Formats: sequence, C-alpha cells, structure tokens
Amino acid sequence: MSTPPPADSGTTSSEPNVASASPVAAAPAARKEAPPEKPSDARRRSRIIFSFWLIVLLLGLPIWWKTTTIYRADLPLQEMLDWSDGKACRPVFPLRISIRAGALQEQEAQNLLRLTQHALDDLNDFSGHHLRLQLAPPSATASHDPDSVLTIRLAPGDATTAAFDPHEPILDITYPPNAVPSHTASSSPLATYVAGQLRSAFAEEQATISYLLSTNSIPSDHRPQGLAPDVAQSLAKRTTRSLRYAPTYHLTLSLFASGSLPSSWDIERAIADYMKPVLDVLSPIHNFTIDTQVQLYATPGVQSQVLNKEDLSSFINAAEWPLSPSIGGAPTINFVIFVGNQTIAAPGPDADPSRSWLIPQWGAVYLLPLPADTAHVGAATLKQPLLTFTSHLLALTGAPRSGSLPLRLSTLARIRSADLLLRASSTLGSLARLALALPSISIPPRVADGVATTIAHLRLACDSLGTPDGLRHARVAEAEAERAFFEKSMVGQLYFPDEHKIAVYLPLLGPVAVPLIMGLLNEVKAWRRRRKEKADEAKEKKSE
Amino acid sequence: MRQLFFSLLFCFFSSFAAAADYHEQLNLRPLPQSALLASFNFRSNISVSDFDKGNFRFFPRSLGQILQHASTRELHLRFTLGRWDAESWGARPWNGAREGGTGVELWAWLEAASHQEADHKWLMLTNALSGLFCASLNFIDSTRTTRPVMSFRPEGDHPSLANTQLLHGTLPHEVVCTENLTPFLKLLPCKGKAGIASLLDGHKLFDASWQSMAIDMRPLCRRRNDCVLQIEQTIDMVLDIDRSKRPRHNPIPRPPPADQLPCDTSKPYHARDTCFPLDHTKNQDWALSQIFGRPMKGTCPLTDPQVSPVCIQIPHSRPVYASEGAREKKNPDRISRCFFPPDPSADFDLSLPAPADPSDPEILGPGTPLLYAERSFTGYGQERGGIQTILRNPSPHKEVEFIYMETLPWFMRIYLHTMEARVAGQPAPDKSLVREVYYRPAVDRARGTQLEVRMRVPPASTVLLTYDFEKSILRYTEYPPDANRGFDVPAAVITILDASQGGKEPSPRRPAAYTLRTTSLLCSLPTPDFSMPYNVIIFTSTAIALAFGGIFNMLVRRMVAADEGPEPGLKVLVGKLKKRLGALTGRR
Repeated sequence: MSTPPPADSGTTSSEPNVASASPVAAAPAARKEAPPEKPSDARRRSRIIFSFWLIVLLLGLPIWWKTTTIYRADLPLQEMLDWSDGKACRPVFPLRISIRAGALQEQEAQNLLRLTQHALDDLNDFSGHHLRLQLAPPSATASHDPDSVLTIRLAPGDATTAAFDPHEPILDITYPPNAVPSHTASSSPLATYVAGQLRSAFAEEQATISYLLSTNSIPSDHRPQGLAPDVAQSLAKRTTRSLRYAPTYHLTLSLFASGSLPSSWDIERAIADYMKPVLDVLSPIHNFTIDTQVQLYATPGVQSQVLNKEDLSSFINAAEWPLSPSIGGAPTINFVIFVGNQTIAAPGPDADPSRSWLIPQWGAVYLLPLPADTAHVGAATLKQPLLTFTSHLLALTGAPRSGSLPLRLSTLARIRSADLLLRASSTLGSLARLALALPSISIPPRVADGVATTIAHLRLACDSLGTPDGLRHARVAEAEAERAFFEKSMVGQLYFPDEHKIAVYLPLLGPVAVPLIMGLLNEVKAWRRRRKEKADEAKEKKSE
Repeated sequence: MRQLFFSLLFCFFSSFAAAADYHEQLNLRPLPQSALLASFNFRSNISVSDFDKGNFRFFPRSLGQILQHASTRELHLRFTLGRWDAESWGARPWNGAREGGTGVELWAWLEAASHQEADHKWLMLTNALSGLFCASLNFIDSTRTTRPVMSFRPEGDHPSLANTQLLHGTLPHEVVCTENLTPFLKLLPCKGKAGIASLLDGHKLFDASWQSMAIDMRPLCRRRNDCVLQIEQTIDMVLDIDRSKRPRHNPIPRPPPADQLPCDTSKPYHARDTCFPLDHTKNQDWALSQIFGRPMKGTCPLTDPQVSPVCIQIPHSRPVYASEGAREKKNPDRISRCFFPPDPSADFDLSLPAPADPSDPEILGPGTPLLYAERSFTGYGQERGGIQTILRNPSPHKEVEFIYMETLPWFMRIYLHTMEARVAGQPAPDKSLVREVYYRPAVDRARGTQLEVRMRVPPASTVLLTYDFEKSILRYTEYPPDANRGFDVPAAVITILDASQGGKEPSPRRPAAYTLRTTSLLCSLPTPDFSMPYNVIIFTSTAIALAFGGIFNMLVRRMVAADEGPEPGLKVLVGKLKKRLGALTGRR
C-alpha cells in the first residue's frame, strides 16, 4: 500500500493556524512569520466548516436516526397496566335467582323474598359475587328462566327440605305451612333456611372466584376478606390442576398393556355409554374430539408392585409411550388405562385403595387388573375406568366439586370467564412492563392492533360477566392478548450486541469525524482569539 | 431365478385380502461377496371408518393424526443411507419400490383444491413428520419441493385423484441415524420387543453397507366401500457379514493370527508361509444372533400364525439350522424356505453353516436389474459444470423405456439446450432416444429445477445423457456452516415403465416395473471468505476516510511556505519533553 498511514492527517492538522505564535514554535530563530491571512479567506474557511457541519447535522444525523431506529407502535401502556392492576375492571357477578312460589300470595312471596335477600346480604361479605333474588312472573310456563342462574321452586310440604333437580338448575324447597312469614315479621326461619341453602350452593364458586381475584393483584378493597388458609390451599391445588381454558379439548384414551394381551377393546361403545352424556352436557363450554389407541409391550416407568405417592409421577414412561399431544390447536387430555395388577399404596390403613390418579394438567391413569389371558376388553369392563375418567375430566376442566351437575356447569362458565379475564389482563400488564423494560424491543403494528382488540373485548367481557357473552368476549380477549404477547417479530433484533455496532460504525466514523472535529475546534479557537484581539484593540483605543 | 424371487417377495404384498390386520416378515438373502440382504416388512391395516373415528389399534395414532390433519391420501417416506452396489448385488429388493435417494425423501398425495392449500398442508405435514421422526424434514421448503408429473404413480386404490395433488421433497444432506430408527420402531404394534423387530438394533442397522427405511401409507379397497388404510414399514439392509460378526464389546478390526488368515490357495506361490489374503471370505457361515447382535425374541402374537415370520432365500441343497423345535417349510420354488418358531415367547435363532465345498457358494446369483445408472459431474472450475448420466441396458433383446427425474437446487441453473442423449461409442447425439421432456425452470430462492425426461435405451447398449449448468453465487447468509463441504444434489429418480402393460398407451398410464435412484452428488460452489463483510466495511471506510480527510484538509487549510508554518508536531513534542527533562534535572 502506497497510501500514507492515517496517523499523518492527525499530526498535520494539529496546528493549522499560522497566526498562532506559540512560545515553543517561536523559539527557533530560523522560523519566519507567515504573512497575515486575508479576512476573506478566514471567512470562507469558517463557511466551509460551518456548511460541513450543517450537512452532518441536518442530513446525516436524521438519516442515521431514521434508518437505525426501531419501530415501536404506540401502546396504551397506562391502560394496559390499569387492566393488570385490576383498576380498569371490577369483576362483578350479578347472579339472579328466581323464586317460584305458586302456592303463596303475591304479598307473602314478596315478603319472603325481602327477608331472604336481607339474610343473604347479611351473610355475604364479598361484593363482587352478588346473589339477587327476584320473583318469577307467575305467567311463565317454562320451568326454568334462562336469564337467572337458579330457580327456587317453593312448594308447601310437611317439613323444610331442599333438593336439587338433577337435570336443570332448579332448587326444590318444601316448607311446612306455618313457616311462611307474616307481613310484619322481621325475620323468618324459612327465609334464613333458603338463604343458607343458597349460600352453601354458591360457596364454592364464591371461594374460587375470590381466590382467582386474590392471586391476580386485584386491589384488596375488592377482595373478600377472610379466605381461610386451608380453603385457599385446596383452591390453589385445584386451580393448578385444571387445564388452561380452550374451546376444544382433544381426549386421547389409551389402553396400555405390558405384554401382548389384551390387544383390542370395545372403546367406542364404552365411550358412547359412559362418557358421551357428560361430554354433551359440557358442550356449551367445550367441544371435544376423541381418539383412542391400543399400545402393547409398554413398560411403565416404575416396576414395583405397590405404587407409592412418589412413583405415581414417574409411572408414565414418557420416553417410550407414544402419548404425543395432538397436532391441532386443541390441548390434549390423556386418559391411560394400564392393564396390570399394581396397586396404589393407600394413604392410611383404613383408606380405600384407589385404582386411579390424576396428573395435573395432563390427564389421568387407571390401573385395570385383568386375567392374564384376556384378549378383548368388553365395554362393561371399561365402565368403571370411564366413569372415573369422566369425573377426572370435570376436575381437569376446573368444574367445582359439589352441587348438582347443571349448577356446576354454569359455575364453570363463570369461573372460566373470570379466569380468562384475569389472564388476559395480566398478559396485557406483562406486555406493558416488557415494553417499558426493554426500550430496544420493536413493537410491530400487529401488536398494537392485538392490544386494542383485547382491551375492547375485555371491556365488553367485564360489562357482561356471568353471561354467555361474557365468556365469549373473555375468550377472544385472552386469545388476542396471547397473540400480541408472543408476536414473533418482537424478539428479532433484541439480541444485537452493542459491540457489533461499534465494529461497524467506528472504521468509517472515526477517520471522518477526526478532521471534522479538529476543524471545528480550530475554528472556534480562531474565532475566540479574533474576538479577544478585537476587544484588546478596542481597549487600546480607549486607553489611547 | 430373479422372477421367482420377486414373485415370492411380492406374494404377500399383492394379496392383502388374505392378510390379517397385522403382518410381519423377515426375508434373508445371502448376496455375493459375503453380504446379506435382510428385508424387514411390517404391515398394519385399519378400516377407513375406524380411522375417521380415531380408534387406532395397530395403525399408529401419532402418524394417523398427522395424516388426518394434513388430509393425506397416500404417503411415502424414505430414509436411506449408503449405495446399492448393483454390479455385485444385482437387482434391488422390492424392485426398488421401497427405497429412496440418500438422505430423506418424502412424497404424498394431499387432498387440496388449490396450490396454496396444498402448499399449506405440505408444510404442516413436513413439520409434523419432522417432529415425529426426529429428522429435519421441516427443511423441505419450496426450493426442495416439486410436483412430479410423470415419475410417481399412486400405489393405493383411490376412487378419484381429481382433487389431490402430488408433492415430492428430498433432503439429500440428512444423515439417517438411530434417532430416526427409534420412532420408526415405536410405530410398530410390537415395538421392537417381540417378533422380528427385536432384531433391529441401531448399531447394526447403521453399520450396514446400505440400508433403507420406508414408510408407506395407502388405502386399499377390496370392493367399493370396503376399504382399509394400510401402513407398510420396510427396512432393507445389506449387511457385511464380516463386519457385523464383530463382537459389540470388541468392535475394532484386528488382523487375525497368521494361521487363521483366509488365503487364496489357487495362487502358485501359496505356501505355508506365504499367503495371498482373500478380499471377501466367500459364503461365510453366520447366525442371526451373530449378525444382529441378539437372537429374535419370540414372535409378535398379533400376526397370523399361518404366516412365517422368517424366510431365507437359498437353494434347498444347502442346510439351514434353526432353534430346536422350529418347523421348516420348503417352498416349491426350490430356492426359498420359511421357518415357524416353536414357541411364541422363546428366543429363536437361525444359522447358516459354511458350505461343504468352499469353491461353490451355493447361493442365488444376483438378479440382473433392468438398467444400470450412474451419474457424475463433468467439467471444471467454479463457474460452470455439467452432469453426465450413464444408463446401461443389460438386456440383449429388450428396449427399456423409463422416466428420468432430476430435482436440482436453484443455484444450479441448467442450460436445457445442451441436454443431449447419445449412445456410447457413437459421435452424434441421437434425437430419438429422448421421447418427452417436462421442464420447470428454477426461480431464484423460490423453487428448484424440475426435469423429467421420458427416454429409452436400446437393447445391450449404453446411453449417455448430458447437460451443462451454471453455478450461481449465493448470498452471504445463504451458505450453510460447512460451506466448503459442498452442496448436496438429490438423487435422480429413474422409473422404468412396464413394457408388458399398456403397450402403445401414453406412458403416464403405465405402472412402474422397476425404480432406481442414482447416488446424490456433491456440488461445490464458489465459497467466499466469511470475514468478507467486515473487511469490506473496513476497506471502504478507510478509502472514504482518506478521500474525505484529504479534500477537507485542502479546503480548510491555509498553505504557507515550509519555514513559515509552525514547528511540525513531532519537533514540538520533543522540545516539550526536553524542557521537562531539563526542569527535572535542574531541580535536582
């Protein structure tokens, strides 16, 4: 290379102004003074330097800024944080309960209703979950009013009894004739009884919802007080056990055998007989797709005859058993029947040894002992396993444990909408915090769209909580929030290290910037000196 | 002889009606030069109604779900390793229908109304299969996917293929290994724990000279509305008996002691102290437990007990010993026999003793394939190249008509006008050899070249098919990490049309009589120095900085005479330093 080393330019640019007569430079006698510079030259030089800097500042900087800046769509950060902090929505479940009392006078019924409502309000300490009684219009012919969650059918009888209808959300209450409160009575045993019944019927739902709210950073004033620690613990266990909400679940029923027998089963009929009824009942909330398989020569992960609690988690031989999840969007629930005579160690000496256990968020396993030469498993043999799986399925979907089935399902819909609402809100909050914490992350417009849709649907869901619409909106909101949060293009440029930027910028900007800056410095120096000289001249003139 | 062998091999394959829902069989065939061909075949059926309802019994659920999801009508997946040495081993097993090119090959008929829908489903299928078989099938993108027009025929019975599309993709770079065998075995009802599948061991399988794993799914109908879906899993391997007999705990080959060396006694200088070692110990003896490392663990009880699990193709004159109590059934063709293990749960072993007369191996001769094919690169340099395929028809009387299909990556731009076929030994190309050409040119970075040529080879002659191509320069980020290794070019697929059927009918209607694939090629492209971008940045930056600095200084500097300017920087510095030193010493 014949080009001079770049260090030359640095040394030659050190003292460009000849007029500066430093004491060191002036010391040798051979040095001559340069003729004074023409003012027009000096002016031209300042203009050149000024225009160079003008180009750098007005053209270079904006271009650099424009080309390297990361696109960040505007997010309503404060609103998102409000949602996640629970400030934007106060989840309220107004539950309407109809009272149908055909045998009572209008006046008496009103009175009973007022008293019961009083009793309920006295018992209730959680404002978010509110039971509101109303009198069913006497003309209504339908046995159950679809607008209300529960209908109470009051009928005169011999004693005070309460029973749930197994097929519809109806509570039948009979009362002795003398129990009807008089017009002036301020309390009545029947009203207290009805209130107590209602409270116990909705206690679990209330506890679950208040637990959900308490784990999701809802301000404490909305939160009910006094959730007993043991209740909270069992609720925590149940919530971690249940699967995330999905409109469709895929059920995989598998028959595993350690040998070559049995190799066939009458699963189709067994499902139709024992499982289908519950799936049909669940159909307003979830759809189900089913497939079944038979797997032979399957070795369980634990070989011992009696399975301890620790063994249960490693019984599924994940490496060998083909229990891959379904490839559609639906989450898979696995129900495994293992043919073998292993037993589960009972927790206590008198406890009933169970044959099945539930694996949280995954499915359930049932140990089915069969004679060694069984080649075909009939539908009748599968009855007990499938009924067990059905109850496990309800637990996995998060349905409450007690109450009549229709009531449990309507409760499930409400719990799910609250859960989805809170999930979507907390996802929004995480996204907002992420956007604040990482200033270099790009936020594409799709994310902003997703956030806008989520907030719109959250608002709708919050306004219509407890209705089917509420569940639908919460579902959309949750899906959109997840999509916005897991947007792929957000992570692309995140890990571009700063060292690389230096490596790219420095070779060009370093050598270009040095003459520019030195020129500017010298120009500033010369300008200052000129001003000083002028001031000195003016002083001299004055003193003269 | 060959015809007999294949008719036997295909007798179960063609007559599924008699088969139970599950079938498995191992066919052994000693090959010359101490090689052994082992063909494992597993078939499971599921009725279409059970498949639609998702009640899986022998048919694997994991695969069934994928097929349902991607609405696949027929699927063929191949994992192949090594090269079939046609010169010494003869015709391919299954007439080449159960093997693929080196690496992974996949083709499927997907139900789709439009190209976009088909592409979408294909993407889903490759991704799902990639997860199932632990192979990089998800790298079969649009550049590696073609829609063959003439080469592939559906094997199953389809009422109508009007709404289906055939897609084909290859991954020649994929190295097939144990992680692909494990999911393959998981698909079997007996899981490799009983039956012939218990012989399959990754160490032995992938140590074979050539091996091919195939999965085929197709619908088969006996009558209308009486259809089953059949999954056929096949593993064909050619074992080098010498190598597979090495014990697992001592796998390193060591020279045998001098007295155990196999010597060529026909050499005139053969004596007690001189030995010309034989390349291959001919017609060696072996036992199943020796070459597969373990005996067969009983039989899979799901199969039809009337169908033998193990058959061997060897003349009846040679004895074969089986485990005690096993029933031997000699087939009337006099070249094959089958064995029935006595106890379904006991281990079963089979051994072939060395022949009585060492000079006569007494094995079946290799069958002559319908065509020999070899493909190689011609030319030199990094800019252009050529491909030459040598196609030899061994038959003295019969002409061979076939479809030659190439899928080339987009960075090999072929010059179609240079394609010519000529009979070896003749100077001028013969235009009559090529009957039909289907060509779909490549689009840079979007799709590869697809070339299908229907051509013929006259009896007892060799035809050279050649064409030239240009290598394009890739972008910096398009090079793989091992760019200097070269780029794999997928095998060419040669589908020989059945001359006995169809006659003058247009070729696409005629079924394939024999399929073979050439080896894959390694094409080296001009590879840059990968520190190049940074060098370019530095270099241009330096040039710009020099030019800018010069011009800028010219503009803003004032020119004065040398003795009029200030002291040059270095002298000033030295002066300053001297002054400091002087001050220091003076203070002292």
